[in-house]
Amino acid sequence: MDGVYYEKGWLGVVFTLMVAGFILLNIYRARKTSGKLFIRRIPGLNAIDDSIGRATEMGKPVLMVPGIGTLNAISVQALQIFAYVTKTAAKFANPIRLCCLDPAVYTVAQEIIRDVYQTEGVPENYDPDSVRFISDRQFAFAAGVSGIILRERTAAAFLMGEFFAESLILAETLNSIGAIQVACSTEITQTPFFVAACDYVLIGDEFYAASAYLSRQPVLVGSLVGQDWSKLAIAATILLGALVNSADGLKRVPDEANEGQTRALKADEKMITDLFSPKKPEWKPAGGTQ
Amino acid sequence: MEAGWRHAVIPWLAQAPAAPALNMWNAPAGTPEIWMKVGIAMLAGFGLLAALIAAPTRLRRPISGAFIFLAGLFWVLVFLFPKPIDSQTPHEQRPRGFVQDVSFWLADAIPVVSNFSNILTAFILGLGVFSLVRIHLMRVAKKQNDWPFSVVLLVSMVAMATFGYWDWKTRLDLGGAKVDEAWPLAAYGKDLLFDGMLQVMEAAMFSLIAFFILSAAYRAFRIRSVEATILLCAALIAMLNLMGAVVVTWDGMIESFGKDNAFVMNFTLSSVAGFIRDNLQTPGIRAIDFGIGLGALAMGLRLWLSLERVGGN
Repeated sequence: MDGVYYEKGWLGVVFTLMVAGFILLNIYRARKTSGKLFIRRIPGLNAIDDSIGRATEMGKPVLMVPGIGTLNAISVQALQIFAYVTKTAAKFANPIRLCCLDPAVYTVAQEIIRDVYQTEGVPENYDPDSVRFISDRQFAFAAGVSGIILRERTAAAFLMGEFFAESLILAETLNSIGAIQVACSTEITQTPFFVAACDYVLIGDEFYAASAYLSRQPVLVGSLVGQDWSKLAIAATILLGALVNSADGLKRVPDEANEGQTRALKADEKMITDLFSPKKPEWKPAGGTQ
Repeated sequence: MEAGWRHAVIPWLAQAPAAPALNMWNAPAGTPEIWMKVGIAMLAGFGLLAALIAAPTRLRRPISGAFIFLAGLFWVLVFLFPKPIDSQTPHEQRPRGFVQDVSFWLADAIPVVSNFSNILTAFILGLGVFSLVRIHLMRVAKKQNDWPFSVVLLVSMVAMATFGYWDWKTRLDLGGAKVDEAWPLAAYGKDLLFDGMLQVMEAAMFSLIAFFILSAAYRAFRIRSVEATILLCAALIAMLNLMGAVVVTWDGMIESFGKDNAFVMNFTLSSVAGFIRDNLQTPGIRAIDFGIGLGALAMGLRLWLSLERVGGN
């Protein structure tokens, strides 16, 4: 294509399409089998009902925080889990508090929670103030949520989504009042803090498995199975890539700097690098059209 | 002829920096044209919203699904399509062809499409502020528990918004350099509230983490199970490896056993810490990252194709 276009890593694009295909195929399969596919036990998710039960016994609210990210797949997934939590809390007429940093997440959360109360047949129990926009600044948000935790003595808390430095502030404040905490962060740097401070932690893609695990909807179960197949495909690709890269490492090419000499391939000359992330070609406008 | 319609239609949605006259999205600032466009856009937006609300319930989902699909399709195309090496290339120097045109159009349209979401976010921020004000006004009116804190919040919010706007307007009218020199009340107030109070209070919240790390680490590192013991040992090695005096002492001791023995040298603190980092921690993090990435992809696909049912459904 004229050398003008940067065909960036075609194999990466093909691989992404293949993974998307796997997921859609398994969604189709699960729909046909009504979602009767196996999902292993996840202790953190089994603890959800126990935590809400404890909060009900104590007559204290359940706190939910969908992270501090914007409205994206992560926060929607967190709200999906919170819909289940709210459903269970609504059955026992247990108060909830859902604190948001992002106004878009707040708006969507409000709709979802209202919808849950309506579906459960108790729309009169829905309190519009249970879903709150606290602040759009990270530490003002952390201070605000910590204040709610300490004032209302929440008995159970679900911290799920994109968390950053505020993760430990929230988890330790909750710990100080003896609340049960179920947490998960898609930020890998925050997971250790949650592991250290919380009672139950969902690690990595368990967060995305949660809605399938809790609701057993065929679409979600199929999607989860597709993700697992994709993981196998990625593992196989890594193995193959390691072998090809090792073979490339043995190759010798003429050395441009020293005539008559040979040298090993540089990292960006290896086949794998070129397939996934080729070098940007040089191009300057010629001053005309083709 | 075929290229003619492409060149007429494709720049329509793109905010090409070199040729603003080619598209309908921009006009010189302060002109009646821009206000007219803003008005038309507002009317169109509210009209669409009203139409969606008035639509039968069974149709709302497919309509919003169609919008989501179109919006998602744009970003899928941005990802899949070959990219121009230099999207700043002037129009007259761009090579012509269907693929090339679409490629440049996609690159040029990214700011326009991104602005759509920025505008929506600005509207939604108003809803957030409304919720905050309503909750705290009610609390003050009903004299609920801790209502004085709500008064502080409302006063702070109004003061920050007032001084923020006043400072911005003053800088716009007088110029930033003059404001910094004269330092009027607007600048003083904004500086006091933002740099003098907000930033400092945020820093105080951040600094709490240091104490929380200590208390969380104390609980996590207690030897309760095999996993906790392994965690403790790994953390101990990682921490000791950051202490110069310990590293020098330990590594010196190992070297005294046999500096030329490669096997013995594997037990220096930096080698053990490096082994844990490179062979245990990094692969573990990568594996978790793959899982998270795949989960996000699956979630994105379900949202894009409207397969996701969120809420009480």
